[in-house]
Amino acid sequence: MPGGRAAAQRIRKAIALVNAAADGAGDEELTPTEIAEAIRDCLELREIEQGSNVRKYLGEALDATSDGMPADFVAMTLYAALGALGESWSED
Amino acid sequence: MRSAEGRGRTLDEAVDAALIELGESRRNVDVRVISEGPEETLVEVVVIDQAPAPAGAASPANGKAEAARALVEGLLKHMGVRAQVTVRTGTDPITLDISGRDLGGLIGWRGETLRALQSVTNVMLGKNLAEGERVIVDVERYRQRREHTVREIALRAARQVKMTGDAITLDAMQAFERRAIHLALQDDPDVGSSSIGEEPDRRVVVGPRKPAST
Repeated sequence: MPGGRAAAQRIRKAIALVNAAADGAGDEELTPTEIAEAIRDCLELREIEQGSNVRKYLGEALDATSDGMPADFVAMTLYAALGALGESWSED
Repeated sequence: MRSAEGRGRTLDEAVDAALIELGESRRNVDVRVISEGPEETLVEVVVIDQAPAPAGAASPANGKAEAARALVEGLLKHMGVRAQVTVRTGTDPITLDISGRDLGGLIGWRGETLRALQSVTNVMLGKNLAEGERVIVDVERYRQRREHTVREIALRAARQVKMTGDAITLDAMQAFERRAIHLALQDDPDVGSSSIGEEPDRRVVVGPRKPAST
């Protein structure tokens, strides 16, 4: 399922950005705008419709980023999106 | 904290000499290079792997750590994972160690599941933690071992850079691993590190430190 994999990759990229912001490697300055952009990139993919809750979780993660919620909360919501996407594969 | 100095022709030999003196394995120590020359390398090896406190033995003053431990223990129970959760002593931030049998699944691909568990833990503990305070969750010292491994990779890369003068690009790493490399090389007068690329393929480049422009 190449499409689903592409969606998973984009979600993982967003998670990596959030985690990098939380861990603070000190080698880049990540802004909420960049994280929000990465989440919007995920929302643009048609493959996310495969999982019933993927769009919902991504939307919540985007809202959480805009609202300045802690990075761990955003990450947790993105992990939920990733999990929902994985569930859609197993249902196929 | 126990430590020992080790000498050898190479970094590995020096570390091994100190490990023999301490009776410790490589995963339980932190290595600091004191001097390095073509003939001899001198290192200081510090044991950082303190014996974990028994379950529930966190200091009463450290209620946060105990609350975190109890929370993760409960989460694992609901997940059907049989494991012991302990608070790592003498660490800041609070670090929880999960140990048990067959916990590979709890670590996941490139530590993804472990990272997710840490995020959930921090969200659930949110009200108990101060602004910016976080709890680190480690499974079978995976995170600690990765930090040690990448630190050794950094020191090896630095030696190679000093010999050849060429920069080396390392594999893609997570933020905490990149930070470990930057910290390992920050005091090296000849070699520096920087990062290139975008998450999750961001890589550290180890190269000669440029002289400060006047």
